Amino acid sequence: MLYIRDLTKNYGSFTAVDHLSLHIPKGDLFGFVGPNGAGKTTTIRIVCGLLKASSGSVQIGSTAAAVGSSEMKRLIGYVPDFFGVYDNLKVREYMDMYGSMYGMYSRDIAKLTDDLLELVNLSDKKEFYVDTLSRGMKQRLCVARALLHNPQLLILDEPSSGLDPRARVEMKELLKNLHSMGKTIVISSHILSELSEMCTSIGIMNRGRLVAAGRIEDIMRQISGGRRIHIRIASEVEPALRMLKEQTDVTVESVREKELIITHRGTEEEVCALIGHIIHNQVILTDFYREAGSLESLFMQLTGGGAS
Amino acid sequence: MRIRLNPIVKKELQVTVRSMRLSWGLFAYEGVLTMAFLLALAVIQETTSYMSSGNIYSYLIYLFPVLAVAQVCIVALIMPIITASSISGENERQTFDIMLTTCMSPLSIVFGKVSSAVLRILFFVAAGTPIMALSFVVGGLSWSYLFYFLLAIILLSVFSGSVGILCSSFCKRSISAVILSFVIYFCIYILTFLPMIFRAIFGNGNAGESMLVLLFNPGVFFEEFFMQIMTGRSIFGPEQGSAFLSDDVGIVTYLLARGKVWMFVSAGCILALSFLFMALAAWKVNPMHSGAGRKPGRKKVE
Repeated sequence: MLYIRDLTKNYGSFTAVDHLSLHIPKGDLFGFVGPNGAGKTTTIRIVCGLLKASSGSVQIGSTAAAVGSSEMKRLIGYVPDFFGVYDNLKVREYMDMYGSMYGMYSRDIAKLTDDLLELVNLSDKKEFYVDTLSRGMKQRLCVARALLHNPQLLILDEPSSGLDPRARVEMKELLKNLHSMGKTIVISSHILSELSEMCTSIGIMNRGRLVAAGRIEDIMRQISGGRRIHIRIASEVEPALRMLKEQTDVTVESVREKELIITHRGTEEEVCALIGHIIHNQVILTDFYREAGSLESLFMQLTGGGAS
Repeated sequence: MRIRLNPIVKKELQVTVRSMRLSWGLFAYEGVLTMAFLLALAVIQETTSYMSSGNIYSYLIYLFPVLAVAQVCIVALIMPIITASSISGENERQTFDIMLTTCMSPLSIVFGKVSSAVLRILFFVAAGTPIMALSFVVGGLSWSYLFYFLLAIILLSVFSGSVGILCSSFCKRSISAVILSFVIYFCIYILTFLPMIFRAIFGNGNAGESMLVLLFNPGVFFEEFFMQIMTGRSIFGPEQGSAFLSDDVGIVTYLLARGKVWMFVSAGCILALSFLFMALAAWKVNPMHSGAGRKPGRKKVE
């Protein structure tokens, strides 16, 4: 669906996006994560035609249209992080205005508006002024607006920022709903737990570069090889420590009395074999566990501890 | 075939007519025109009382240029304020990005903004028509002048609007855009006289073809417009004083003025300048042109 090839954006000597290549398949719910200044919003703005790339290309579906062209804009629905409002404009008129901007006729827009407002649970607010809606409602209205021209790709830049917990849940449910309807969705967010719950795949950016991308479970599996393992020993620590140091794919991180913390870069089977080897050599283990893997830990690991 | 109204014009009109600001604006506009009318009437009465004939009616036609000039001044002042805050206002509200992601081209966005401002001004001009019409009741003026005046005020609105929109596209904040608009106004209304003055002083005392730059000056256009209506003569005619003597103005200007086509050529030049400003504004707001778009430090870029 979305192909980004070798995308670079420079501001003078500063590189905001550095040779980014990414493919998001059709029907995917893709989460774009990264610390502040990683280049997520720049990438999104380039894809949406709001910024000119220094080099590289963006392609949606099979169309060869240039970024920023009318053809390309029809394929994208964009929801920015901030919802600006016009005074004295009703929800119905707001939808009508943006529908007209996509060349749609008022009669068709009116029909679609009813369906979309129902989808985003705002049917009863059709005659309300936009500036009287709550932030959560405005954000859902913005999603409805972005869907008006039936885009192939929906891009949301931090859709949950500034929303209360209830509005976040509603937004999450809405996005899951849209995903189940077959929409390809790209979300940039800082709320990693939320992304891990709803996204099918993620891309982690750091300093303008894509450091990991793919299905969440695949990335977690790749990264889990490098996750830390805690081994608590009842007998003497020294023989176990000696055995572990002999292993090439093991790094002993710390030794705290009877607890060893190691990093194993091998597969799950190799970890099992290692533990078996330790037990076979008369070392008594009382506890053994791998540190829990989460999107947060993965993110911290890949971005060098950079706070999101 | 269905006719499509520019979505921005439609939205702006919807928003404008609901706003109390329009009502207050119309009230103030009518108030200023009424004041101008009463003041002009008082001056005419005072003047005619000293004259031997004492016939006030023959002087009442001068109410027309007074009211027209009052309207021209108001429009020239209001229009850049309206349009100078249009794009920068959208940026301040953060609605402009969404607009740019739609299928509307930057030129149609700019055109929509200027058109809606021109229509808003036409509300005011229409509201001022009954007061303007008072100067026609005593005769001496053709009703067609009112129509010509309407065309001239539309031209002025388009020009002033294009100056405002150009500044709005270059400035981040509305207030800076308004200030820049008036700086450009100053350059066009005042500095266009400079080549003529310099040539007259430092040349051979002949303004020559340097006067042609005044074709782009809406102030000169309106001066010529009122001169033609009130006297049927041109401001560049030989009878209008030494500054505009035919020997001084240069042959092209002289022929334009003698043929009474100066006004039309000037209208064309002003319109062309307006479209140039609008095209420049559209180029500036187009994110796909080199150098456009948000830079780090101006707003969040991640």
